[in-house]
Amino acid sequence: MSNETGEIPSPKIYELPEEPIREEINLQFGLYIVVFIVIYYVSWVLVGAIFFLYVLNLFYPYVLQVNSFSSLFLQPESLLTLLVMPLVIIFSYFLRLLCIAVTTRFFWKLSEKISPSKSGVIPRNIKSKAADYYHLRSFMIKYGKNLFTKGMFPWLSQWFFNFVGSNVIGKGSVIEESVGSDKFATIGKNCYLGPNHTLASHLVQAIFGNIQYFRMIVGDNVTLGAGNQIGPGSEIWDNSYLLPFSSTNKHSVLGSKDKKSHRYYFGVPLRKIFKKKTMSYLGISEQDLERNENIEDFIDGVKKKKLRRKDNLNSHQSIVEDEEEEEEEIELDESEELSDESFVVDFTTSSAISRVNIKFLIVYVPILWLAGMMISIFWYEYTKEENWLGATLYLPIAILTMIYLFILGVLVFSKLLLILVNLIHRPKEGIFLAETGNPDYDFWMLRTELKKLALWFLRNSPLPWVDAIALRLFGVKMDFSSHLNDAWCDVDFLSMGRNCLIGQGATVMSSMVIGKYLIIKRVILSDYVMIGGHTTIAPGTIMGHDSVVGAVSHTMYRQLIEPNTIYGAVPARFLKENKYAEERRDIVVKRVVDESKKLEETHEVNIDEDKKKFIVAGDDD
Amino acid sequence: MRVGPFLPTILGKKRHLIYYIFIVWISSVPLFIEFWFYWQLTWNPTRPIFFYIYIALLLIPMYLTLAFSAIFWAKLLLVFINFIHKPKEGVFLRHPSDRDFRYWTLRNVVKRFPFWICHRFPFPFLDNICFKVFGVKTKFSNSLFEGWVDTEFIEFGKNVVVGQGAIIQSSVIVGNLLIIRKTVIDNDVRIGSHAIVMPGTHIGEKSVLTTNSVTTVGQELKANFIYAGVPAKAFKRNWFFEDGIEGRINPVEDAAKLSQKYDQIITKARWEEHLTLKQRRDLKRQLKEEEERRWELSRERDFEEEEEKESET
Repeated sequence: MSNETGEIPSPKIYELPEEPIREEINLQFGLYIVVFIVIYYVSWVLVGAIFFLYVLNLFYPYVLQVNSFSSLFLQPESLLTLLVMPLVIIFSYFLRLLCIAVTTRFFWKLSEKISPSKSGVIPRNIKSKAADYYHLRSFMIKYGKNLFTKGMFPWLSQWFFNFVGSNVIGKGSVIEESVGSDKFATIGKNCYLGPNHTLASHLVQAIFGNIQYFRMIVGDNVTLGAGNQIGPGSEIWDNSYLLPFSSTNKHSVLGSKDKKSHRYYFGVPLRKIFKKKTMSYLGISEQDLERNENIEDFIDGVKKKKLRRKDNLNSHQSIVEDEEEEEEEIELDESEELSDESFVVDFTTSSAISRVNIKFLIVYVPILWLAGMMISIFWYEYTKEENWLGATLYLPIAILTMIYLFILGVLVFSKLLLILVNLIHRPKEGIFLAETGNPDYDFWMLRTELKKLALWFLRNSPLPWVDAIALRLFGVKMDFSSHLNDAWCDVDFLSMGRNCLIGQGATVMSSMVIGKYLIIKRVILSDYVMIGGHTTIAPGTIMGHDSVVGAVSHTMYRQLIEPNTIYGAVPARFLKENKYAEERRDIVVKRVVDESKKLEETHEVNIDEDKKKFIVAGDDD
Repeated sequence: MRVGPFLPTILGKKRHLIYYIFIVWISSVPLFIEFWFYWQLTWNPTRPIFFYIYIALLLIPMYLTLAFSAIFWAKLLLVFINFIHKPKEGVFLRHPSDRDFRYWTLRNVVKRFPFWICHRFPFPFLDNICFKVFGVKTKFSNSLFEGWVDTEFIEFGKNVVVGQGAIIQSSVIVGNLLIIRKTVIDNDVRIGSHAIVMPGTHIGEKSVLTTNSVTTVGQELKANFIYAGVPAKAFKRNWFFEDGIEGRINPVEDAAKLSQKYDQIITKARWEEHLTLKQRRDLKRQLKEEEERRWELSRERDFEEEEEKESET
């Protein structure tokens, strides 16, 4: 990346000394915490001051100290204080969002100044300024992004990205909630990016591979449907319309800057579809397409009305045609007879059963009460002195403490209950009838619901990265080097090796509902496994070390994925060898990217040993 | 990972947000009245122990109060809005001048706060109440909470499972068009994770839409079948609702054969194999001519209508 900037000194053998590495690593984690604490502190302290001022000066004397219910409404000042209270909270919420945006912008601009984000390939396992600041930026945008897009006022998230400077979004564009698309994208005017899409400006090739980090360009008047995955470096120019689920590879260019023709895309990987197919897929008529392309002509009311009347007629015709085609196809299939092949699980579904059972609530109420009591005692101790200035200044820290105290309480109490439940009925693998009355099925549901509570709170806490604690406590075999935030996973029968990376929006299931049967089978992910975004891992999948399953794909029930390979497509199949897995054994050229220094190492060692050797080598000098 | 709450954030007019803030404001007033009652009941400055012990227990009814009052006010407003403009199916323009589009966004804005507040609750039963109140026909035996489900023009049977990250739409935006069609999903349907159901789809009883597959607008999926592919095609018969087959459920053995089977579904030849290049061209030309003829006809009809109108005026 930095080869483009500054002059490149002649390559020389350069050994990293010990001291700077240690310092940098310490600084890195220090930076993360400092950035988070500053953003968090600023976001709460002003809000806390306003809240305390209002409650102590107005709400307490005029509302809480009024003893009779009727005078609460008859006294004008009491009534006014009561009615303004929600408005104060709404105002504080906006103020908080503003504070977060301002501080995030400050840090973002600062980091951009030190190491500007540029399109390029960042080595993942070699320390460099570019990699460090790339990770730092990904970290700092997350808190604000989660609050804005998942919060009460998602309409402000476009403003947030623009203000912080992570994305450039044109006027009138709408971005729905998604796990990616938070940085390094330029989006034109009047776009619509549907739910659960990802504009992935970054892509990790494998655990020992590189990070592909390229700017995304989306032109004017582009619509992405639901579930579109757009690879890094893609350019989607004006008037491209992606139907739901169509996904691109990296560096795909759809249309061109000069051409303004209207194009429709569909499929995985996507391809252009033409008039007839567009009409049949969308159930619309030719006039609708005409309206879409020349929208200016149809904005005035008279012409629109007339056309719509005709559209309805036409669209019905096209639907009838579709159905006829479909019926022919199915008649062929219906002759299929019952054989052993019929019971082969050659497809993947889901296991998202969260049935409402009111008796579960009886379990939850004591958990919530006990955990809540911990924080109410904390709050009592905190406000006992009635030193309100101090209370306001320390409020952000107190809130953070309270959130995690509460989660800790929930964790501990649900773990205790879980032990009890597991004593009554031992969890086991197998195929069970998914109907109430089957003990395995009932207890599976109870276990999932029990675990969900703590995980739910952890994932919605300010630092969702700590969910590994809950996963470990609830029986997932993993260590803290693995990441699966933003992914959905079953918290039963899942083992992970070292340093696994599970992509955004991926689903790792150890249970699956097929027809009226529930399949539970352990999923085993070995060391250095990587799973792409929006990929589904079926129960019983075993992934060898250094293997990769690409994005938007799914594995089969009990599929074996060979070590050192890359799998992809639907269903997941062997694509190629994972060459990065080999490369990690002998690192020939390393480049500290930002300093344009070249670093050569020729000895063949394991990556973990390798790092140690660097430090030792530096010590000798 | 839970996406949602199930409502597009697209705005027809910015002033619609006033309705949103109004709902937030009016539905949180009861909270403070409730807190006042609790304060009068338990607060004792010399012995605050009761206040602090039961305050956590109060939070659950407070949350429920907020949720239900939000549902109440939003529903009231929605009935009023629907009275002014009835929600209807069709193809509309994604432009504020289109009345249907405007009211669609307004409905989404109004429904957003109750859905948001119910969706932030760790348990799904509030979501279910929301769905029922705002016009999605559903049963308490369904689980729709890990995916994204649109909030109107959808009908569910019982015992439906919607997978993680699946998206069930009754409205979709493609280009400058907003397509709203009613989606119907029958009993015992399983929808895989990351599958997408487009508006107007009808999924028959005991059918399965597998992972990573998409239906088209207005597609009819037959009962008792497993569907896969982009767009979804019949894959095989669903025998998994038979009794007593636990021992017979097996994993795939021949991976290559399976890949072939999927390839047939996913990348199906557009033209039948026995056609030669010339025949294909002829067919294409015929189709094009047919299309042009129809277009001309419709244009003529247009002119006639216009002339009629002009002559009338």
